[in-house]
Amino acid sequence: MNWLTTRRHFTLMVAPALIIYSLYMIYPILYSLYYSFTNFDGVSAGGFAGLDNYRQMGQDDAFWTSMRNTGIILGIALFLLIPLGFLLAILLSGRVKGSGAMRALVFAPAIIAPILVGLIWIFILDPKIGLVNAFLLAIGVPAHPQWIGGPTLSPYSIGFVYLWQQIGFVLTIFYAGLRMLPRDVMEASSLDGASRWQQLRHIQIPMMRETFGIVTALVVTGVFKVFELVYALTGGGPVHLSEVMVSYMYHITFTTQQYGYGMALAVVVFVVGALASAATFLGNRRKGEVR
Amino acid sequence: MSIDTEVKVPLASPAAAGGTPSRPRRRSRGRIVVSAVAYLITFVILFPLLWIVLLSFQTNDNILNDPFSLSSLTLANYQQALETLNLLVMYKNTLILAVVSVTVGLVISYMAAFALTRMVFRSGRRRTQNTLRFYFLAGLAIPVYILLFPVYRLDIAFGLFGTYFALILPYIAVTIPFNILLLTGFLRDFPEEIEQAAVMDGVGLWRMAWKVVFPLMRPVIATLAILNVIYVWNEFPFAVTLINDPNMTTVSLGVSQFQGVYSVNYGAMMASATLVLLPQLAIYAAFQKQVIAGMTAGAVR
Repeated sequence: MNWLTTRRHFTLMVAPALIIYSLYMIYPILYSLYYSFTNFDGVSAGGFAGLDNYRQMGQDDAFWTSMRNTGIILGIALFLLIPLGFLLAILLSGRVKGSGAMRALVFAPAIIAPILVGLIWIFILDPKIGLVNAFLLAIGVPAHPQWIGGPTLSPYSIGFVYLWQQIGFVLTIFYAGLRMLPRDVMEASSLDGASRWQQLRHIQIPMMRETFGIVTALVVTGVFKVFELVYALTGGGPVHLSEVMVSYMYHITFTTQQYGYGMALAVVVFVVGALASAATFLGNRRKGEVR
Repeated sequence: MSIDTEVKVPLASPAAAGGTPSRPRRRSRGRIVVSAVAYLITFVILFPLLWIVLLSFQTNDNILNDPFSLSSLTLANYQQALETLNLLVMYKNTLILAVVSVTVGLVISYMAAFALTRMVFRSGRRRTQNTLRFYFLAGLAIPVYILLFPVYRLDIAFGLFGTYFALILPYIAVTIPFNILLLTGFLRDFPEEIEQAAVMDGVGLWRMAWKVVFPLMRPVIATLAILNVIYVWNEFPFAVTLINDPNMTTVSLGVSQFQGVYSVNYGAMMASATLVLLPQLAIYAAFQKQVIAGMTAGAVR
């Protein structure tokens, strides 16, 4: 409409969002990228270091551990969280009494602050005061594993807590997808004597391809945002063994104040996360074509 | 038809059940099993939350030595939690941050989204709008952790460190891409006739945006408001980076300090966790439908 067309009006409407967004989202990205090539120490700009920071990563065991741990959590999310979320959605979409209330209850962990989720799980996983080991003791199991704080199990525990936090959310998206399936197909198949398992295998799962794609994309991007759970449960320790990529970047930047190296890690987190998401999206599209 | 029989079978008399072969009975037994499994899983998922609340009423001795007995009921943990923690300060700070950043963020996101979809240049070209929309939506791919240190430097450079604005500005910036995604999506489908009629009545740009179109966008705005408040309420990385004044502590930052505050008093720690957990769950219960709808809308869109 012509009356709306002056550039001045348009600029006035867009400017506030544009300025804040550019200053606090776009500029920081360029800033990180630039300083990842320097020895920035927080005071002076530091010398230009070229690719030194990136080379340093190759020799940095803690960095590789953090990458491996992120991979472990990603594995738990892909191979446990998504299938379990789907099964639970199937379970709670049937005619179980109170399934609506149960769906709402199971969703609750997803809205609790992740830092509080971490704190709550300390009381369950902590080797000394935690519920799991108290239970093992009570039923007479001699072993008391170090679920958190030990050298090996922490990333798996963190992945499990992430699963707990997200399962209601994953369930809800699957449930929404299940509800969008055409009812007559299911009815026709049960008239034809298809078993519940056959329906699931040959109708519901194939028809939910798009929903699986959405869930996978969300879960993959979500895994690279896990930070508070590590911060609360283990603080990345012992000796960085339970660090994830983001928490290690945080440690290098704010605790050891190696800003140049920290920014290089930030850039790598961004690139690896973006590649993983891109792979998910491309994977979805390829599957779509085969059909 | 099949639906009808399935629903009626469990209600049918034993004689009728005898008439049909074992299949319906197996089905209803199957349903009992399925229900039992569903209840069990729901209970298991909720158990950690219940456990914290249960133990928050126990003495520290009991928690350490006999956590399953749940015998020694006491309110002492809550008393200590309230004495030690500045819960009111935490809630006040978080509330201020949430109200200001969500209100301002939605107002400016709406203005930008309105300009990007409803305003047309005389030339009829939409290149500026399309480019800007892409520029805003690119933010969806930016992980906040990259922003932490640069934003810390910005806040120092602008002299904002130690003020609410140190957090308000990044909170607004981070929510802009998703707000604009949803708002432009809905504004594009908005019927032009209403606008044209308003133009005939001599309505100007500002009144058009706020008095004519905005009221019709209320459902989307409400969804975004809920999602944005949840984001600010739970936000931790920026808070831990940009706050070092105890009087500025937010709820999530406060939670992270519980371990340090009560090094060995686990009962008080759980009481504190409960005091943060329960209001959050109460608000969730009140807005549960909108929260779930909003979260999934965000996911599917």
